[in-house]
Amino acid sequence: MSESHYRHMKDLPSTHLLGAGTAMCAGCGGLQAVHEVYDVLGEKTVFVNAAGCMTLLSVYPFTPFRGSWLYTSMASAPAGAQGVRDALDLLVAKGRLPANDDLQVVVLTGDGAAYGMGLSSTSGAIDRGLDFIYLCYDNEGYANTGQQSSPATPHAAHTATDSGVLGHPGFKKDLFGIWVANRPAYAATVIGTEPLDLARKIERAKDMRGPRLILALAPCPSGWGFDPGEMAEIGRLAVRSGVWPLKEYDDGRVVHTEIRRPRVPVEEYLVRQERFRHLFEPERNDAELSAIQARIDAYWECVD
Amino acid sequence: MYRIRFHGRGGQGMKTASRILGTAFFGSGFEVQDAPLYGAERRGAPIFAYVRAARRPIHERGVIDRPDLVVVADDTLVPIPTAGVMAGLGERSVLLVATGEEPAVWRDRLQLQGPILTLPIAAEERAELRFVGASCAAAAARLIGVISWADLERATQQELAPLGETVVVENLRRGRAAWDAFAPHEGLVVEGAEAASQVDERPDWIELPFEAARISAPDIHVAATSTEVRTGLWRTIRPVIDYDRCHRCTWVCSTLCPDSAIAVDTEGAPRIDLDHCKGCMICVAVCPTHAIETIPEGEAKHAESEEARP
Repeated sequence: MSESHYRHMKDLPSTHLLGAGTAMCAGCGGLQAVHEVYDVLGEKTVFVNAAGCMTLLSVYPFTPFRGSWLYTSMASAPAGAQGVRDALDLLVAKGRLPANDDLQVVVLTGDGAAYGMGLSSTSGAIDRGLDFIYLCYDNEGYANTGQQSSPATPHAAHTATDSGVLGHPGFKKDLFGIWVANRPAYAATVIGTEPLDLARKIERAKDMRGPRLILALAPCPSGWGFDPGEMAEIGRLAVRSGVWPLKEYDDGRVVHTEIRRPRVPVEEYLVRQERFRHLFEPERNDAELSAIQARIDAYWECVD
Repeated sequence: MYRIRFHGRGGQGMKTASRILGTAFFGSGFEVQDAPLYGAERRGAPIFAYVRAARRPIHERGVIDRPDLVVVADDTLVPIPTAGVMAGLGERSVLLVATGEEPAVWRDRLQLQGPILTLPIAAEERAELRFVGASCAAAAARLIGVISWADLERATQQELAPLGETVVVENLRRGRAAWDAFAPHEGLVVEGAEAASQVDERPDWIELPFEAARISAPDIHVAATSTEVRTGLWRTIRPVIDYDRCHRCTWVCSTLCPDSAIAVDTEGAPRIDLDHCKGCMICVAVCPTHAIETIPEGEAKHAESEEARP
């Protein structure tokens, strides 16, 4: 494995490719991840955007990108990426596009599309060995329309569709695991609040071929219920508590890129978010809190 | 028919204010429509919601273009053309602005034909307008004058119940204060006429002939045109860097700023792009030397205009 360009925080890019002025909420964890990813991928990138929050990144004639952006319905971004990839391959083969002007094709999708209705077309794209990066900003719900539950919503979280005392009855789906089971070229989890880990993973993924997953947890002030200024702290707590494991799959193996010992109790992460407030008020739900902690501990026991 | 528009920023409770007023109207026996604008309703971004209420079935649809009452929860929206606060204000339309300034200042500034009233907002509350929605709904109800306090109270309780008892109590306390404060103006808002299709005026528009897409929506070959959009207008609080305390570790604030709004100058110092900073204050939270301060936007603007004076 070659040495990373990103050895210290100070190696991170100090100029940014993604333009300001987008309609994302103040303190958006998804936008933070996308701008960090774009800096490492560089200008020669074409984005294929599944409908979601990031629909509003490009509203004609305004775009934060330096190249093309294609918009698709929620379920069909990988199919859009296939078309773009094929067109680029044809242009290069016919000599109409110099090989060094070829573009990296990136699907940009929210968790609603990635964990649910877009799975089928994603599976097909992986099966065909499509050469693309699949970047999911996971804000754990249909945030663009008011945070209804998605298959990425964590257990017990309040959402617009699960507002009862128990919160969301389901459990967050393991999208990383689904990708790994498909034996892609590469898969990684990242978070914008750990930019060095993110930059190293994007740097690795960038030079590979084939289907590559970048799954970014995207703390969402509006959907999760916290002050926008706390976004970085919430993201760090997600990692330090072990809720969001940072890992990568490469060459048939899953490796955790950050193992925290000791981990921060998950309560410290939950208590700062409005969507989990019912676990603490009016009465503390000790049973649910220890069940959530136990699931995290069980995950990390298999890692340690 | 009464037509009321509530303007505010995403997160200030304008949708809730319109729900409360709509429900209170309904409880008082009116036919009601209430709807928030559907679009880029982002926290901090200009948004609006509107209510129609009549004693007969309402056939009018869509955004209210001739309001009888416009309520503005955030006075920084008034000068923003895209917020559309002033749209359709006629000689009888009442404008209610939540503000720290006197009504006379607003009358002088806006030169409207209709009455202008203010809902006083204390300076320390300006950046955090969590309860302004309930105050706005109550003030609107009193100005309209056909809703009883009992109906308004019931509507407030009904709409806010999912947020818990503490929130309901605080909102009712604030709502009651606004209700009492506007007693002298009860009934100031006059019901607008029903629009009949025969009298519908032809909208003032320009006919554009059909054009091929490549002419009407040409390709954009310029990078990052989004910087033409001034999202800095969303900001209610402003980060200010103290360069004496800043250690020039720009990879922290500049990387973690979601909006690419912190650049690094040739001296290696971070510079905040105030045209685009939305005021999320992540930079304030992550700065290792605590070199970034938070200042209310109104105060910062005021200081700037003072400085600009000869």
